[in-house]
Amino acid sequence: MERDPLKRLDEYRLTQGTELENTLIDEFLTGEASRADFLRHASVIGLSATAIGAALGTAGYASPARAATRAVKAGGRLRLGIIPAPARPMEPHLFADHGTLATGSICGEYLTATNADNTLSPSLAISWKPNKDGTQWAFNLRQGVKFQDGSPLTAADVIATFKRNTDPAIGGSALSAFKGVLKPGNIQAANGGKTVVFYLDAPTAAFPYLCSNTTYQALILPSTYKIGEFAKGGTTTGGFKLTSYTPGVGAKFDRNPGWWGGKTPLDGVDATYYTDSAAVTAALLSGQIDLISQVSFADSRALFGNSKVQIISAKGTPHREISMLISTAAAIKPFTDRRVRQALALTLDRPAIIKQLFSGLAVPGNDSPFASVYPSSDPTVPQRKQDLVQAKALLAKAGYAKGFQVTLTTEKYIEIPQLAQILAASAKKVGIDIKLNIITSDAYYGGTYDGGATGRGTTPWLNTPLNITDYGHRAVPNVVASSAFKSKGVWSSSNYANPAFDKAYDAYSAALTLKQQRKYTGIASRILLADTPVIIPYFYNWTMAASKKVTGYKASAIGTMTGLSKTSLA
Amino acid sequence: MREARIYRFLLKRFVYALITLFILSVLVFGASTFLPGDVGRNVLGGFASQQDVDIFNHAAGTDRPLVTQYVDWVTHFVQGDLGTSFQYKVAVSSLLGPSFTNSLKLAAVAFIILVPLSILGGAIAGLRRNSLTDRVITVTGVSFTAIPEFVTAIAFILLFGLWLGWLPVTAAAPEGANILTQVKYLLLPAFALVAVEFGYIARITRSSIVENVDADYTRTAYLKGLKKKDVIGRHVLRNSLLPTIAVVATQVGYLIGGLLVIEKIFNYNGIGLRIFTAAENKDYPVLQSGVMLVGIVYLVATLTADILYSVFNPRIRFGGDE
Repeated sequence: MERDPLKRLDEYRLTQGTELENTLIDEFLTGEASRADFLRHASVIGLSATAIGAALGTAGYASPARAATRAVKAGGRLRLGIIPAPARPMEPHLFADHGTLATGSICGEYLTATNADNTLSPSLAISWKPNKDGTQWAFNLRQGVKFQDGSPLTAADVIATFKRNTDPAIGGSALSAFKGVLKPGNIQAANGGKTVVFYLDAPTAAFPYLCSNTTYQALILPSTYKIGEFAKGGTTTGGFKLTSYTPGVGAKFDRNPGWWGGKTPLDGVDATYYTDSAAVTAALLSGQIDLISQVSFADSRALFGNSKVQIISAKGTPHREISMLISTAAAIKPFTDRRVRQALALTLDRPAIIKQLFSGLAVPGNDSPFASVYPSSDPTVPQRKQDLVQAKALLAKAGYAKGFQVTLTTEKYIEIPQLAQILAASAKKVGIDIKLNIITSDAYYGGTYDGGATGRGTTPWLNTPLNITDYGHRAVPNVVASSAFKSKGVWSSSNYANPAFDKAYDAYSAALTLKQQRKYTGIASRILLADTPVIIPYFYNWTMAASKKVTGYKASAIGTMTGLSKTSLA
Repeated sequence: MREARIYRFLLKRFVYALITLFILSVLVFGASTFLPGDVGRNVLGGFASQQDVDIFNHAAGTDRPLVTQYVDWVTHFVQGDLGTSFQYKVAVSSLLGPSFTNSLKLAAVAFIILVPLSILGGAIAGLRRNSLTDRVITVTGVSFTAIPEFVTAIAFILLFGLWLGWLPVTAAAPEGANILTQVKYLLLPAFALVAVEFGYIARITRSSIVENVDADYTRTAYLKGLKKKDVIGRHVLRNSLLPTIAVVATQVGYLIGGLLVIEKIFNYNGIGLRIFTAAENKDYPVLQSGVMLVGIVYLVATLTADILYSVFNPRIRFGGDE
């Protein structure tokens, strides 16, 4: 007979619960954290399944149901279309584009796994705990895991992987994620090699996310790994083994018979790279492939609403930032007045944009990086909506009752040109005349990044008065908030600087409890709504398309494809 | 004396080809170097620091004087060393080799369908001048030539690939596929190419046929009492093939190196798509060597056409080459 959940919970809190865990349980039981937020945050701080079940039972919820075991058809090879093709070397610490990370994640694994609902699951680490202030995180490694070459997974492998990803001398693509968080020498083995402890530069509540597939470069490789070996196969622990890789053409994977997770339903995966969305769309519709790694409503409308196709998506935070340069020589006068910036933001009908550009697979942005999908975001911050009357009034107060003219510079990338046209049409309604300058991504990110009169070089995305920049998914808002909104942020297209925002952000970053995090993101979000250096019209879902015979695949918001190890073909 | 003239003719053509290649190498190098953007920035991405970009450019050697870079590239190229791809960090030859082979396969399938079909079409149209058959062939050919190849390709994909389901919509056959399966995968892109090229070659053949049918020697042949089929077969067709050979030869280079649109639509890893991707990513070693390779193909095709032309037309071989 099952014991009373309240008794189990009390027992856990008295004997094992840390202060952080007990605070989260309190927040949940008092209603400050919803069930979904509790589950998400519990997974981050490593709360045990027993404690989670007891807390849910105490609050009157059923325990989180384990996925019902159902018979899946074993065998077959899944034909995957990856678009676009890898644009960089197939080298995990250099992954920085969809083609490389999608390919690498089919065979590779991480310490933790970020799920489609932004919760964390164990992967090569079975559990993790922070110290009291979140400056140390201990990860207990799964025992019995073997690399595909037969060598066992050890703490030394994890340490070597993170050293490669955090060492500035090696120059990996994950340095921006680990900057100010982890130095290469601050990782140690403990507990006879069964545990790895990370000693962080500063309290970081979101560190377990940085060890998951959202930091797709941190794919665990053997300590003996030499750069250049990945594409040859056999250097990973995942359910599939890379057996061939041809740059620009495709990759093949066979089942890894020694996988710790058991036997994958699929015999293998045949990935083909595509450069043209029409070609990959036709390939799926004609039955030549089974799954497309990413689709956009703007480019592949034939797939949406098609009875032969299933759309698979994961809520995420890929977004566009419409930045108004407010404090350099290139800034134009109207945008130095925050009333003008607010007015432009008020012209957008965000739900209509989402319907038009994403067929509804997105959520409105609120002009701050603290997206509603993050549990740490304050849900009480009012959502900005279209208000043309207020926009005109603000422009009049700022002395621009008759509007003004400005050039918008942006890149030709997925739906961005359409967004630029929508913004121009919306702004026209309040008298703002936006001329469009849509250039290639190369040109948009080209030029120098430092020097010159402003110290910001010549690159258009940091030096034009009004522009739109693409941002990918992040499991936590920290990197975008600190790099694009904090004073002197290296990605700050607006060159925004507000000490009050910086203070609120720093307090959020150090906060370990959900309640504290929401308090500070609330302050920071309200400051950004008032200042509006950037307009974020939406956060869109990672969207994929598959034939109806693909079953069990769960998308990841970052575009990694670890889910294939649990996928089958009906 | 006669052999010396042949050798002189061939040697002259060969020297012209080398000069053309030299000019091409300068143009390719210059054009790729002056492409907008920065190699390091492109490879490392928009969010990389300027310092990292500078380090990359130094390691790749793109910050050296242009003349030094050019001499270094050409010296290695003529020795068969095409260098290492900036983008993929693998040997350029390992990227261009398979792409070139793929392009040859597609060109071969297209060629086998195109050449007999268009010569036959042009010959029938020419011999039945101003008839309904002539008009149908001419108008159909011109119409398809006038339609951009991406439109024809998409129409074929919709018709034969998606609606009828007869042919695959991508051109690359699964690994290990036999020759018949490979040809099946190449049929749709080949048809798209045939549609574009048919009108051009057929029109040249037709006008040549018409010219030769009206020629004095043809009338003389009839007056000598030869049968119509002998006159057409021995005199008209043989002489009409001269300009057609030249046109067909010039299309070889296009069919191998100029199929970017077709390769993109049919997701085919040919040399055109490889060069385009390299240009997009500032992968200079692949871009420069790829364009040179296509240039060599063009020159070899033209040289072959010259030789064949001279074989069929002794006036050129023995004195008319100036």
